[in-house]
Amino acid sequence: MWNEYSVGLALVMISAVIGFLALLREQDDLHRLLIIDLVEIPSLAIIALLGTDLAEALILPGLVVGIAELLALSQIYVTKEGLRKRPVRGLHIEVVEHAHAPVIIPALLVGYGIVLSGFTGGAVAALGAIFFVMSRGSTDSYELVEMASGIAWAAWIASFFVFMFFPQYWYAGVMGAAVGILVKVAAKMTLVGSMWGEAE
Amino acid sequence: MIGIGGQPLFILPFGDIVLYFTPFTLTLFIFALVFTVLVIISKPERQIDIVFGGDAYLAKEISISDMKFRRFMAIACGLASMGAMVTGDIFDFALFTSLVGICNVGIVAAVKSRHVQNAAYQYGLVAMSATVPLFAGAAIVAATTGTLSILQLALPGATKVPLLVKALLTLGVMGEGMAPFYAAKAEMFRAPGAPYVIMCSLSSLLIFLRVIEVVLTV
Repeated sequence: MWNEYSVGLALVMISAVIGFLALLREQDDLHRLLIIDLVEIPSLAIIALLGTDLAEALILPGLVVGIAELLALSQIYVTKEGLRKRPVRGLHIEVVEHAHAPVIIPALLVGYGIVLSGFTGGAVAALGAIFFVMSRGSTDSYELVEMASGIAWAAWIASFFVFMFFPQYWYAGVMGAAVGILVKVAAKMTLVGSMWGEAE
Repeated sequence: MIGIGGQPLFILPFGDIVLYFTPFTLTLFIFALVFTVLVIISKPERQIDIVFGGDAYLAKEISISDMKFRRFMAIACGLASMGAMVTGDIFDFALFTSLVGICNVGIVAAVKSRHVQNAAYQYGLVAMSATVPLFAGAAIVAATTGTLSILQLALPGATKVPLLVKALLTLGVMGEGMAPFYAAKAEMFRAPGAPYVIMCSLSSLLIFLRVIEVVLTV
């Protein structure tokens, strides 16, 4: 009866109940949004408790749905509270000499990400790209990156169709999916926060 | 598989994801399809406030971009409901259901009125917390029975899904499809744009009917 799965499930359920109790007591709208984001983590944990390949495949859509709802609700919150974008001047950190970070760090990260490929590789490569953009203080428009992300996504889907309809070309499918998801995740992570556009 | 859905009329195995139509889900699917087409072709209404005891009335002005967004959300909601009707996989059903929830929030949230946005925000909070029982239910189905396929679970010799898990699934769908019950909060439905708001109610009705079928079948 009390195997590892049951114990894990009980622990996760208890933490979810604690989260919901906090939700019940909290009155402030913004704090409730944050607590709900916290409560979503137990739901991912329940999926993760499966501990199989299937769980890995199921966590991702669960996570995406949670993030989508969080983004939508925070946008509603911003509109309903009438919050405006405040101009933020750069952080006032005293540095001896103002210099760009060395390019070698992002280059290494991106290179290692490409070697890893897939989701993990995309995340590592994106970290390098974000580091590069932030250290250079670039304010370029990101249309090109958005387009690359879209094309990579289409390549990823096309690879899945190759798996389904032409299983004999599975190697091309694997390569297409790996490269597509690498570029897509990398582009997505660089884009976080830049696609909302300017506040009116 | 003899449930309330009847014999499957059509089965499309798509990898390990199986789509199927029973007479029951086919009816629901056609409903969703017809309403989505209606949303695509219909023109939104102009809301008119009439002053009691006088001849005065005023028409509300709604911007085109506002309406475009709401129409897009309504179409997305229709597609998500159609997906929830045809899918033969419990986790897919959970995903489509939460997509319906997001789209319902989107349909009402585009209205630039503080009351409407407040109601939409509260509904969004409910929908978001409902993803916990919904996904938990789907995951525990996989853990206890080893499969997520509704067709497999409906076989006579299959492991039965525990009652508690069915309750979790139903609870999740109730939270996601909460929109019509927020009609008590009239602000949400006082929002202009007739065909789009109806999509909230319709999609919720459809996912309620479908989850009943799923819970009784597995």
